[in-house]
Amino acid sequence: MAAQTEVKANPNMPNHLETATLDGKNKVLGFWLFLGAETVLFACLFGTYLALRNQTMGGPDGQELFDLKLVAAATAILLTSSLTSVLAMMKMNQLNYKAMQLWLGITVLLGASFLGLEIYEFIHYVHEGHTFMSSAFGSSFYALVGTHGAHVTFGIIWISTLMIQAAKRGITKETAPKLFVSSLYWHFIDVVWVFIFSLVYLLGKVG
Amino acid sequence: MAQQPNTSNHAPSGSSESATKHVLSFLLMIALTVVAFALVMYDIVPTNMILPLILVLATIQVFLQLFTFMHLNQKGTAFYTIFMVTGILIAVVSAVGIILM
Amino acid sequence: MGTLIVLIVFALFITAILTGGYNKEAIEKFKKSKAWDWLTTVDHKKIGIMYFISGFFFFLIGGIEAIFMRMQLIVPHNDLFVGDTFNQLLTMHGTTMIFLAAMPLLFGLMNAVIPLQIGARDVAFPFLNALGFWLFTAGGLLLNLSWIFGGAPDAGWTSYTTLALNDYSPGPGIDYYVLGLQISGIGTLIGGLNFIVTVINMRAPGMTFLRMPMFTWTSFIASALILFAFPALTVGLLLLMFDRLFGANFFDHAMGGSSVIWEHLFWIFGHPEVYIVILPAFGIMSEVISTFSKKRLFGYTSMVFATVVIGFLGFMVWVHHMFTVGLGPWSNSVFAVATMTIAVPTGIKVFNWLFTMWGGQIRFKTAMLFAVGFIPTFVMGGMTGVMLALPPADFQYQDSYFVVAHFHYVLVGGTVMGIFAGAYYWWPKMFGKMLNETLGKIHFWTFLIGFHLTFFPQHFLGLFGMPRRVFTYQANVGLEQLNMLSTIGTIGMVIGTLAFVFNIVITFKKGAKAPADPWDGRTLEWSISSPAPEYNFAQLPLVRGYDAWFMEKQAGNKEMPAAEPLGSIHMPSPSFIPLLMSIGFFVSGFGFVARGDYSMGILGLIIVFIAMFMRSFDQDHGYHIEPHEIEEANKGVKA
Repeated sequence: MAAQTEVKANPNMPNHLETATLDGKNKVLGFWLFLGAETVLFACLFGTYLALRNQTMGGPDGQELFDLKLVAAATAILLTSSLTSVLAMMKMNQLNYKAMQLWLGITVLLGASFLGLEIYEFIHYVHEGHTFMSSAFGSSFYALVGTHGAHVTFGIIWISTLMIQAAKRGITKETAPKLFVSSLYWHFIDVVWVFIFSLVYLLGKVG
Repeated sequence: MAQQPNTSNHAPSGSSESATKHVLSFLLMIALTVVAFALVMYDIVPTNMILPLILVLATIQVFLQLFTFMHLNQKGTAFYTIFMVTGILIAVVSAVGIILM
Repeated sequence: MGTLIVLIVFALFITAILTGGYNKEAIEKFKKSKAWDWLTTVDHKKIGIMYFISGFFFFLIGGIEAIFMRMQLIVPHNDLFVGDTFNQLLTMHGTTMIFLAAMPLLFGLMNAVIPLQIGARDVAFPFLNALGFWLFTAGGLLLNLSWIFGGAPDAGWTSYTTLALNDYSPGPGIDYYVLGLQISGIGTLIGGLNFIVTVINMRAPGMTFLRMPMFTWTSFIASALILFAFPALTVGLLLLMFDRLFGANFFDHAMGGSSVIWEHLFWIFGHPEVYIVILPAFGIMSEVISTFSKKRLFGYTSMVFATVVIGFLGFMVWVHHMFTVGLGPWSNSVFAVATMTIAVPTGIKVFNWLFTMWGGQIRFKTAMLFAVGFIPTFVMGGMTGVMLALPPADFQYQDSYFVVAHFHYVLVGGTVMGIFAGAYYWWPKMFGKMLNETLGKIHFWTFLIGFHLTFFPQHFLGLFGMPRRVFTYQANVGLEQLNMLSTIGTIGMVIGTLAFVFNIVITFKKGAKAPADPWDGRTLEWSISSPAPEYNFAQLPLVRGYDAWFMEKQAGNKEMPAAEPLGSIHMPSPSFIPLLMSIGFFVSGFGFVARGDYSMGILGLIIVFIAMFMRSFDQDHGYHIEPHEIEEANKGVKA
């Protein structure tokens, strides 16, 4: 395996491989800035949703629609994937290639199951008459939760791509920053979900 | 600062971290989530108290994510923090502005 | 059928790229050509020049649209451009000037100058820099193609809903607006992010934050504004696209939506946008005034502080564009006070410029003329700004020509004059030739006089009750003379701009070769040859204070002290992926504008994703420039 030889060849690897080069530092800083921009983006979507969430136009409202058990399951899955993602990064910095790939794989699987739950949920809602076009509530709900879902989808594809790269090239100064920022992205998705379950589902259930 | 252009402000902290810390903060997050769900599912507090409470719980959880999983607690992350805090501030002002219409 | 042709062309295009071409020789020849070099470049200096050229091109288009509008308004009841045509002209004029002229012209200067000013060999993300440029160009082209295919957007540059929804704007115009701005907005966001990281991580040894030149500082803050403001526009455009193309109901009142949300989203972006285009202009003025007064910038630290405060307050004032919406006295009062507060840091800046000139050895080169002309013009725009910030007064001024006069004083008097000053100042560094000073002075005087003649009367037109955005006006209500005067004024601006174009042409043909330091400059970019070599600095400079280059000259040094020995320099390799990705976005945008059949839109997105994968798997090791090559190049310059 390329990874193992890499580890043996460089016994003096720095503790934080992701910021070991200037390129890596740039990447991590740039990605944090991107997350700052994403914060504003989601804030605008949250603002729109919260402003329009009572405009159901006679359709079902959140209290009738939302199933908290399903949301709790989705939340547990996504929170766990955040943990596995950080564990993968820890293993990466220990240059433990196999354990890193294992944790990354679990992260991707958890992400995919979260996505599955979300798709199931959306299909269920559409059958209940809560669609993107049915009301302002519907539009803003799917815009917010759907944008988050799109982020999850992108994250799954991205991390899978990086797993292939890591398999080809091992843990190097080039792959480490990429893996690290993808993990930051994954945590950020989780952060957004925390607000979605609080402000969309829990608040929706309260009325 | 010698050979590379200004790298000193992002010196890696060098401390290797333990899985225990991450698992602990993960358990704390789960606990916060459970509390938030319980507040809504069982009538523990009056309805008008629920929104502020779940907002506080969510905020604590986000800071846990930022400072443990995303490592904002480490040295050399000053710029990340400055931009993240600015972003959050602008985000809150914008969201509140839209909601209040 | 059209979709099919496009599909085939792009399939061929992709296979050609992936297989290395059908005709190897022709491809090889093309790959060695200058055009391919420019299309694939990741060099910040070349990207800066491309930004500047395309920005100037769009500036001319926007200018022509403005002239058409003034021609229509020269006499009452004119019938040259009426109704929809006039609406399209005014919408495209505003949109083009803000998004496709002011921002790229500034981005051009920022790209060309910032890395040199901080003593860096390149920007932090050369690839993303190229991507940002091509996305902007793709978006700009898409937006302007609306003139030919289906009609331009006509709901104003603010594109307020419900006017911009399907019911009231049925044609594809607003779709072009939404998708064109979305694509170029992504490019701008990427560009802004790149500059922030560049300034934070790429500064030369000794270049602390409080030694950074003012232009770098203001661009840094403007980039931060881009970073946080553009996501709001992205969301707004996304929601408007959903409403128009996919039947969503964000802004449709009948289905529970609210048009005020669009106004919020637009102005949460739109107000910082104003500072995004004015702050770099402030920076240019600071550099120019300091250089041509031969004095250190007065109150440098307070300038930095003022810039940061303006940037921050810029986010807290967006509701002053919405005073008449009816958000209530509380909201209006808070935002009015916040708005007026911005006058304080701006005032600090104006006084600092005046004190910099005070007692200095002033040389009135063209760049300095623009800077000096800028100060009173911009102050007038600022004064009317404070007037507009008062909600009760704003109810009187709103949607009148008073507002038009105000923002043209700020945007032309501030941003455009700043861009011209910057162009004359940095032209030698960007192109290696000196612009003609006589033509420059003709440019300045005709432009300045023409500008004031055009826009000063508009204050009074507004106070006399002439509404903006309306294509005609009544006779015998006292609007004729001032409108006539205003239209005559545009002749001055046209002559000025033509003088600039002529100046550029003759400079390229037979301009004098620029020395490395033509203006007795103060900052690092003047310590290297004109134009800057590919690698910028053979050895990274060691910065020992503010106005680093001037300090060394005062100390009798001919060169900056080096912070490293001469060694081989790593350069990023050129890449066609930014262009490919932008083409993907362009195709996708065009596909979504052509409603009904989304195959082309999806095809475009597939191209984008293929390009992203190519980039992700691409191992770019770049290439190296060896010390002996650098020495040879240096000899060439000196000989």
